[in-house]
Amino acid sequence: MPAIVVALVVAVLFYLGYRYYSSYLAKKVYALDPAFATPAHTMRDGVDFVPTNKHVLFGHHFTSVAGAAPIVGPAIAVFWGWGPALAWVVLGTIFAAGVHDFGALAVSVRHRAKSIGTLARDVINKRARTLFLLIIFFLLTLVNAVFAVVIGNLFVANPEAVLPIVLEIPLAIAIGQYIYRTRSPALVPSIVGVILLYASIGLGQLWPISLAGIAAEDGLFTERNIWVILLFAYTFIASRIPVWVLLQPRDYINSHQLFIALGVIGLGIIVGLDTIVAPAFNDTPEGSPHWFPFLFITIACGAISGFHSLVSSGTTSKQLDKETDARYVGYLGAVGEGSLAVGAILACTAGIVATTADWNAAYPDFATASDGAVGNFVNGVAHFAGNIGVPLTIGTIFAAIVVISFAATTMDTGVRLQRYIVQEIADIVGAKPVARNVTLATAIAVIVPLAMALLPGGGEQGYTFGVLWQLFGTTNQLTAGLALAVIAVWVTKNRRNPIAVLVPLVFLLVMTSWALVVNLGNFIGEGDWVLAPLDAIIFVLAIWLIFEAAVALRKAWLSTRSGGPVAAESESESES
Amino acid sequence: MSRLSWLASAWRRVEAAHDQLFVARWRQGLRREVRRQEDTLRALVMVESLGVDNPVAYETLDLIPYLVADVHEWHQRMGRESFGDPGVCC
Repeated sequence: MPAIVVALVVAVLFYLGYRYYSSYLAKKVYALDPAFATPAHTMRDGVDFVPTNKHVLFGHHFTSVAGAAPIVGPAIAVFWGWGPALAWVVLGTIFAAGVHDFGALAVSVRHRAKSIGTLARDVINKRARTLFLLIIFFLLTLVNAVFAVVIGNLFVANPEAVLPIVLEIPLAIAIGQYIYRTRSPALVPSIVGVILLYASIGLGQLWPISLAGIAAEDGLFTERNIWVILLFAYTFIASRIPVWVLLQPRDYINSHQLFIALGVIGLGIIVGLDTIVAPAFNDTPEGSPHWFPFLFITIACGAISGFHSLVSSGTTSKQLDKETDARYVGYLGAVGEGSLAVGAILACTAGIVATTADWNAAYPDFATASDGAVGNFVNGVAHFAGNIGVPLTIGTIFAAIVVISFAATTMDTGVRLQRYIVQEIADIVGAKPVARNVTLATAIAVIVPLAMALLPGGGEQGYTFGVLWQLFGTTNQLTAGLALAVIAVWVTKNRRNPIAVLVPLVFLLVMTSWALVVNLGNFIGEGDWVLAPLDAIIFVLAIWLIFEAAVALRKAWLSTRSGGPVAAESESESES
Repeated sequence: MSRLSWLASAWRRVEAAHDQLFVARWRQGLRREVRRQEDTLRALVMVESLGVDNPVAYETLDLIPYLVADVHEWHQRMGRESFGDPGVCC
């Protein structure tokens, strides 16, 4: 089937989802009120709380939520064929991610723009706040581990991309300082910065950086694992310097890269008219996990991602000009991420190879498919770039730079956030030395995921990437589950029909728990005494979440029957 | 309007749109950092009003006039509805 037909059909479905389903959510479920005074107005401070034009806010929201994760998950999941992956991305985006991202924004706006962790405490109970912290701890541990592995693999496969990525650091700092000090419009420096970044591809080709020699001499670590160690050493330092020195200016360059990459993929599909050669349904080989239920934890970002609720409630809700803008910003943000996931599916099924046999060679079993997934995406994007005249070698390095930049920024942010979570958990359990010592908390935030990435198991380079990725997916889905539980309780307390929130909530919790149980059996069977306890802990968190959600929903439902207060947010409305 | 001035005006509009979309979010972090440093200074200068002895109160007295302008916004942001003795602030 031609890739462009799939892209067009998906675009129509996403449009219908936005036009009709999000309209239903806005009117009947979240009951948006154009006259409601949002926290951006009532708590306006010129820094965090700033009423912002909805198109601009959508740009901010989308660039915050889109990263490497909606690329990696779909690139692995096409192993089961493009049909299940595409169906989950499309249905997940319309009926789960849209409901979740939009709902997290709506509920936060009605509660003085509080973050989802605080809302879990306020709307459900105090235990839910602790549950939230634990889920986020495991989410960040696994996200840092998997993205270090992604970058390590890409550095090994594309030594020409190393120098541009290294040069991006001083380039980002210089652009940031220039814009900050001169206060001049940023358009020209931005264009110059992006041109310099891509011009450095030539330098990367001249001086490719490989650590294969060091790995051979060392003998203790593989080349990828040496990169992983160096990456965590870098993030230890990067997460300690002020956010505006490096993280933000690099994120600023990445925002431009995101739109450039989307443009290249879109144009490449339109111009190239490539055909999808991968099978719609791929028979699962012996020894590989079945698509059901593992598809739903392999693709988290791109179908539904709990991380979005952190962005929706953490920053976006503080800038919403009108409550009715939540539909445009929240729901379309999910659609944007879904579109990136569809681009990844097409790159790995229409972009990388010319024949079905070639595709089968790239995706022979789950271990090989997951280890090579990001490389396949890079090659696919390079092919799409080739359709618009970019030489294949340049296109490959360009795509690698995009993925590595996104993943590196996620790691920077992840380690930084993990430091706060470690300190907060330490404070709760009374471990004062950790709670008060930033260096110690950062060391824990770095060493735990580093160990996850380096521990031997599965293949010669550590665990099969897909196994770690799926564990990350379970924590991401549990975060989404917690956010959906908060939204469902809030909707129920307001005496509105919560079915649109309950369906994705129940679906996510069932699929995630199911996958965790199957994996737990596999890990115990294989005698894997690292992943088995980790899986068991995440499963306990899932059961805990199901319990808290059920209790809170029952309580909310009973309160509406007994004529209790209509809405929890009525207090916050009066406060604000 | 000459073609040149039309082009200049269009370029400025493009710059403004780009600034809103890409730079505003980034500058927010800078403003937050500035505010954090100012909050720390303000807390140190006004620590006596919070009931804590300030051994360098004589030296920091000169700074108070520069910090009172937005003290109301500051104490509200810090979670206190009122600040100081009646009539001092609000």
